[in-house]
Amino acid sequence: MKNYLWKRLFAGIFLLLLASGTSFAAYGDLQQSGRTVTCVVSDNAGPVIGAYVVIRGTMNGGSTDADGRVVLNNVPDNTTLVVTFLGYVTQEIALMNNQTYVEILLQEDAQALEEVVVVGYGVQKKKLVTGATVQVRGDDIAKLNTISPFTALQSQAPGVTIVQNNGQPGSGFKVTIRGLGTIGASSPLYVIDGVVGGNLDNINPNDIESIDVLKDAASAAIYGARAANGVIMVTTKQGKLGKTTVTYDGFYGQQYLAKTPDLLTAQEYMVLQDEIRFNEGNPSYDWANLLPADLYQSVMNGSWKGTNWFKEAYNEGAPTQNHAVGITGGSELSRFSIGFSYSGTEGILGKPVQSQFERYTARINSEHVILKGRDFDIIKFGETLYYNYISNNGVATGDIYWNAIHNLLVANPLLPIYNEEGDWFNYYDKQSTGWKFDGNTGNPIGAFSNNGQGLNQSKSYSLRTTAYLEIQPIKNLVFRSQFGYNMSANTYRSYTAISAWSNNARTTLDNVSQSGSMGHDWKIDNTLSYSFNLNDNQFDILIGQSAEKWGMGQSLNASGANSIFPGYISPNTNINDVMDYAWVDNTKPTELSQRGAGGSVWGEGGIASFFGRINYNYKEKYMATVIFRADGSSNFARGKRWGYFPSASIGWTISNEDFMAGAADIIDFLKIRASWGQNGNCSIGNFQYLSTIAFDVSNGYYFAADKKTQTVGGYADILANPDVTWETSEQLNIGLDARFARGRLGLAFDWYQKMTRDWLLTAPIPGVYGLNAPAVNGGDVKNSGVELSLTWDDFVGDFRYGISLNGSYNKNEVTRIANTEGIIHGAANVLSQGTTEMYRAQVGYPLGYFFGYKTAGVFQNWDQVNNTAAKYDGAKPGDLIFVDTNKDGKITEDDRTMIGSGHPDFLMGFNLYFAWKGLDFSITGAGAFGQEIAKSYRSFADSPLQNFTTDIFGRWTGEGTSNKLPRLTTGSNLNWQNISDIYIEKGDYVKIQNVQIGYDFKQAFRKLPFGQVRLYVSAQNLYTFTKYSGLDPEIGYGYDQGWVQGIDLGYYPAPRTYMVGLNLKF
Amino acid sequence: MKKILFIALAALLFSSCEAFLDTESYTKKNTGNYPKTADDAIQMVTGVYATLNRVLANCGNSYYFAAQLLSDDMFAGGGENDKHWTSLEHLMYVDLNQYNSFWSDRYSGISRANMAIANLDKVEDEKLRNQLMGETLFLRALFYFELVQMFGDVPLITQVPQSVSEVAEYPAQSTQEEIYAFIAADLKKASDIMPNDKWNATVSGEGHATRWAAQALLARVFLFYTGFYGKTELPMMDEEFNITGKVTKAEVIAGLEDCINNSGHTLANDFRRLWPYSNSLSAKDYYYVEDLKNKGEYWLKDGTNPETVFAIKCSHLASWSTTTGYSNQYLLFFAIRNAGTGDQYKNVFPFGQGWGAGPVNPKLWEDWATQEPTDKRRKGSILAAADRPNYVYGADALMEETTLWQKKVIAITGAKEYEADGSIKTLYNSFTSSTEYYGDGESDDFQLGHETDVILIRFADVLLMHSELTETATGMNQVRARVGLPAVSYSFPALQKERRFELAFEGLRWGDMRRWGDNYAISALTGQLGHTIWNRGVQTIMKDQGAGYSARYQATRGFLPIPSSEVDLSDGVLKQNPGWGPEAVFGSWN
Repeated sequence: MKNYLWKRLFAGIFLLLLASGTSFAAYGDLQQSGRTVTCVVSDNAGPVIGAYVVIRGTMNGGSTDADGRVVLNNVPDNTTLVVTFLGYVTQEIALMNNQTYVEILLQEDAQALEEVVVVGYGVQKKKLVTGATVQVRGDDIAKLNTISPFTALQSQAPGVTIVQNNGQPGSGFKVTIRGLGTIGASSPLYVIDGVVGGNLDNINPNDIESIDVLKDAASAAIYGARAANGVIMVTTKQGKLGKTTVTYDGFYGQQYLAKTPDLLTAQEYMVLQDEIRFNEGNPSYDWANLLPADLYQSVMNGSWKGTNWFKEAYNEGAPTQNHAVGITGGSELSRFSIGFSYSGTEGILGKPVQSQFERYTARINSEHVILKGRDFDIIKFGETLYYNYISNNGVATGDIYWNAIHNLLVANPLLPIYNEEGDWFNYYDKQSTGWKFDGNTGNPIGAFSNNGQGLNQSKSYSLRTTAYLEIQPIKNLVFRSQFGYNMSANTYRSYTAISAWSNNARTTLDNVSQSGSMGHDWKIDNTLSYSFNLNDNQFDILIGQSAEKWGMGQSLNASGANSIFPGYISPNTNINDVMDYAWVDNTKPTELSQRGAGGSVWGEGGIASFFGRINYNYKEKYMATVIFRADGSSNFARGKRWGYFPSASIGWTISNEDFMAGAADIIDFLKIRASWGQNGNCSIGNFQYLSTIAFDVSNGYYFAADKKTQTVGGYADILANPDVTWETSEQLNIGLDARFARGRLGLAFDWYQKMTRDWLLTAPIPGVYGLNAPAVNGGDVKNSGVELSLTWDDFVGDFRYGISLNGSYNKNEVTRIANTEGIIHGAANVLSQGTTEMYRAQVGYPLGYFFGYKTAGVFQNWDQVNNTAAKYDGAKPGDLIFVDTNKDGKITEDDRTMIGSGHPDFLMGFNLYFAWKGLDFSITGAGAFGQEIAKSYRSFADSPLQNFTTDIFGRWTGEGTSNKLPRLTTGSNLNWQNISDIYIEKGDYVKIQNVQIGYDFKQAFRKLPFGQVRLYVSAQNLYTFTKYSGLDPEIGYGYDQGWVQGIDLGYYPAPRTYMVGLNLKF
Repeated sequence: MKKILFIALAALLFSSCEAFLDTESYTKKNTGNYPKTADDAIQMVTGVYATLNRVLANCGNSYYFAAQLLSDDMFAGGGENDKHWTSLEHLMYVDLNQYNSFWSDRYSGISRANMAIANLDKVEDEKLRNQLMGETLFLRALFYFELVQMFGDVPLITQVPQSVSEVAEYPAQSTQEEIYAFIAADLKKASDIMPNDKWNATVSGEGHATRWAAQALLARVFLFYTGFYGKTELPMMDEEFNITGKVTKAEVIAGLEDCINNSGHTLANDFRRLWPYSNSLSAKDYYYVEDLKNKGEYWLKDGTNPETVFAIKCSHLASWSTTTGYSNQYLLFFAIRNAGTGDQYKNVFPFGQGWGAGPVNPKLWEDWATQEPTDKRRKGSILAAADRPNYVYGADALMEETTLWQKKVIAITGAKEYEADGSIKTLYNSFTSSTEYYGDGESDDFQLGHETDVILIRFADVLLMHSELTETATGMNQVRARVGLPAVSYSFPALQKERRFELAFEGLRWGDMRRWGDNYAISALTGQLGHTIWNRGVQTIMKDQGAGYSARYQATRGFLPIPSSEVDLSDGVLKQNPGWGPEAVFGSWN
């Protein structure tokens, strides 16, 4: 009891700090005369903690404690108690006048469909929703124990594709809803606590109340402006009526590689390098002379297998942990929810500069009634505040020139990692030991540990706040004004140490780079809503206005050489020993070229919007919603600014019809719905409507004799497109929601077709005009698909179990690109220098498909070569048989075609759980099918001396040996230099994402002063079912293009994690 | 009351919406407010020059680079993965889109020039206006001249489109005659209006195009056009873009004579002082220029060389984040290819490391010895690297290696530290990184540290063009006298030989081969065959690849393929040059 009071006091102080001046009547109202009544609230499972019991019509009430008990003082005669608790039917109990003890049994709210979902500028009863939305409860996200909410969301939201960029902590996700509609900004619109913008990745999963995904155009239309890619609405935990509860959720885990690549040993490497020489008609390498004598001996006698660089950089058992404390409570007049969290994760690769990710968050949400009427709140005020700080460092995971994992996979196994002193084996060690094989090869771990690829530090700070005021002058007429303010800042530093690794990787002057950027934005939303009922016709009407301004900020960067604290990462140095001293102020540049500085302004922009919505239903049987939104964007010229986005949807709850009464035993609920709507997208750079003149530092000229003084050059950088305007995505959706078998079986099905029209893209214009192309409204993309979700929940006595399964299928096709060839070309030199374009957007194909030659095996003998008409000059047995797709009898560039796509056709997620008394068990998994992966760790075409994986044992070495990989040659051979399907693999997979067993000790030890004491063990990413040969088939990387994925150049895999955790509730 | 407030607020927001949504760029101007002043106009002209460096950033696809490899001066070199070089050497291809960056960069220069020319009337000072106009016309002509020599018929763009709706159709190719007529008009106007200030190290030495450069380029254009197309005069366009005028040989000669007599340009006193290997830092340790060192006569630093008529300026502020094109990337590309073992560059001092493009054709080395045995320029222009101790063959899979490297366009190092015995301990990657040149600690990156200029027009060329056009020996003999060769009387073969030796490796030989007739070109090309080369360190001989030099030249006349991405984009408007079908795909060296 003492404890309880203390907590109240604690919470009260918080509230006071938050909102001094608002009313706290509930906390002081205990001084009248009357009797004392003890109430005990329970449900089928036992005492209910935190249920709120109040004397009807007063503010005299309280929350139940850990035993489900609450004591009410000053209870007058002729009283009715009202008991409320989320998820249960609200009960009213009339007290007899002499009654001092009452037991109340709460009934679970059997109609899960009574749940409300967030629909934008309000909530709606789930059973009345006519669009396609999916809600994921915060608890379901938190219980998967992930650092990022996205990982937990992967298995739970059909129609939402979430792919990790890579497995390094803090590396982000690619999220698309119902297929890619553009090669530009394709990520959905995030609305966090009612405010547009923000990054879900920055939020601790424990802070989330719910995530609602608005998938169809009609649902998303209320955010018409930027909703073409769908909307993800995140609600952080809100204050709840009832006793103050304190929760602690934490876990600690260790991470391991789920799969280790099979790299060649030193001897195997030598054999294959000699085979290349042999196939090219050259003598073998003179290894005895090229390698130091003792090293050569140890390789030849098998006592040294060579360096496995990947294993050397493995940070086995890297820790990961998360701790979150939440405090929630409130009375009828004031509610609050506060949360603090810490997450920390180390990366499993990149030792000794393995990534370290740390995130701290603080959240304070509260709501207060300022003026209360008889049965409604007249004036209400609330706020949300979310602050986070993230500190991390990591190794490079980009293209072949900026990818530490790639470097590990291709590094030479003949090179030792350490020298005799135990330091990295470096360039000078190569010289002194007589290591002469390849002058350009160097110790990759030493190298990335001592340059910006691994030696870096990023920090980011962000504050998101909202404040709102709701005024309800007459019942159900609500005016709401919400102001959102966000501020963010980030800094980055990197250091390049003095070091020498190979002939062409030597740094003689150290260098510090430092950059930072900060800014803020604001948004205001005003809405007026009114609900009324006319003869069973229920109307909810909303009109509103919103305005946003962003891009108010600046960035600065500087670099300097010649530090007075020269640092170096040796095998035993901690990254912080160097980074702590890496500041530009510590450098003493002696020449102008040793410093650099720059600063720029963020691009300001804004959106102004007006919108309205009418929700209608007749006896909850026939529903209709009409939404209209108008948006003006600063990205377009006056006259082209405004976009208008209408939508309409209808629903029919068949199960409410009288004629269905007979089927009520089987069909509890059946609703069909249809929607149509248009959404917009304006995510392009500003000023595309003008021909801008740029003055950048890379377009000046050095007339001066000193070769340092630049004369500034000005040039028109883009061609104006005064007509550029909104992109529109138009979507038709037909869906069905149903529950059968007394609510145990749930089903939701959706079919959709989404046309993106006037797609904003930058299509190449004739190069002869010498100007960059502006964004044009120049294409159409079609996505269509189906989504299905099934759930089964049941219990047998104390044993509860359930299964949920969801799947979605999407087909993507570009139907128009507004230039004559209908193609947007992708980058060349992706797999290696010297390879041509390997992905593109083209009419008639899915966005970002892989482009190259098809092969029909390997020429096995001369007969086959001679009998094949279409081949390259000089084709020999062992060369690839390229397919003459255009049947012109020759192999030319025109034979290149679609050889795969990194985007999955079919996604699935599943969850299975059992619970018995306090024991619970669950398995969660996700899968993706139909996508391909383009894999090449090795730069076959330009780096013939790189190491191989053992996949190369499948090469052709003579008739009948292989019909897939060609003979080994150096890279210039078209066998390897052509992008062809030998680099393409199927990427289908099913991942067991989470397996968890927990036990709530409260069930066994009722006396514990807690509401819950759940201890669990869990394994994450336990197993991946796949035929893909790489480390991890879940590959978001697509050469840093949002519309391309599935390119594996050496990939930071997601770790397998074993963890223990604890959930405590006071 | 609250409703009224809300309505008032909404009304206010409605009315101020457009203003709320107006934004302004704080880092860029736009064609609505620029150019306004003379300074703006100078910035625009500078922007045209900047495209010269943009091409350097992708120099392996440029006209200058292609002309070097295509000529009989050089083989392909590079690693075996540099197949776009090997294929180029043999007039074949691996990627039909290879020259796309050059095409776009040259046209972006043309676009910037078009915009500047349309706006230069805003400059009030007449002399400045004529100077700027002349520079811009010179550059536009240079850009078109490289395009038309490389691709033949190309679209002639003379104005800047105002909006994207104007570029929906691909512009048709103009004929070569029209393009030459346009070039002629630009150069004629440039040489007429530009001031006749004498060359001066502190003004015209700073890289601005001059009247003299325009006259020299006009002569080069005239010689190529009349030679390659078998004409006697150069057509010239009027302002309506009709070919109504012409440039006669006499006018060209008059221009050259104006340049020779009035420009202030002269020949450097020693041929070696033209090339960076004679710089004061490297000269200390380079026996070949010991006599120069003793006289204190070193490399004529950029800007101080009166023989340079026009050069692309380079700087030491090149970087990966701005552009690598601020450094002279040709020096990196043509430098000796990286070898397997450590500091092999001490063995080839003072020549630095690079990608190994363009090993010298042994025939040039041999012909020179027979035809001009006392010519100092032979060893002044070519390094016989096999004579050096520990020369490494087959460095990094080097192809078509001849062990002969040219010394004009190549990375130059300097000694940084010495051993106790006076031998070199460590090297700068580039001599220009040393205190002696632009200050200690300047970019010493072996890829970016090359700040010496790319010389495009040299006064010796002016003298030789004058000899060729007038069929007199005066110019030739001036050039010969500088290297101590006796005077000769004029003959066309003597002139051809003089140009071949004097101007070797300067990007001019390919144009000379082509304009001296198909037979000359083909015999020069086939003269490359049969010489000893090493591929990846394995000795073989230079062989015909694909259809062979002769057939390939006949099929293409030396024009290269128009970038395939532009052909595709044009929807049939751009016609690919003849000879660039699948038969010209280069697979691997046979």
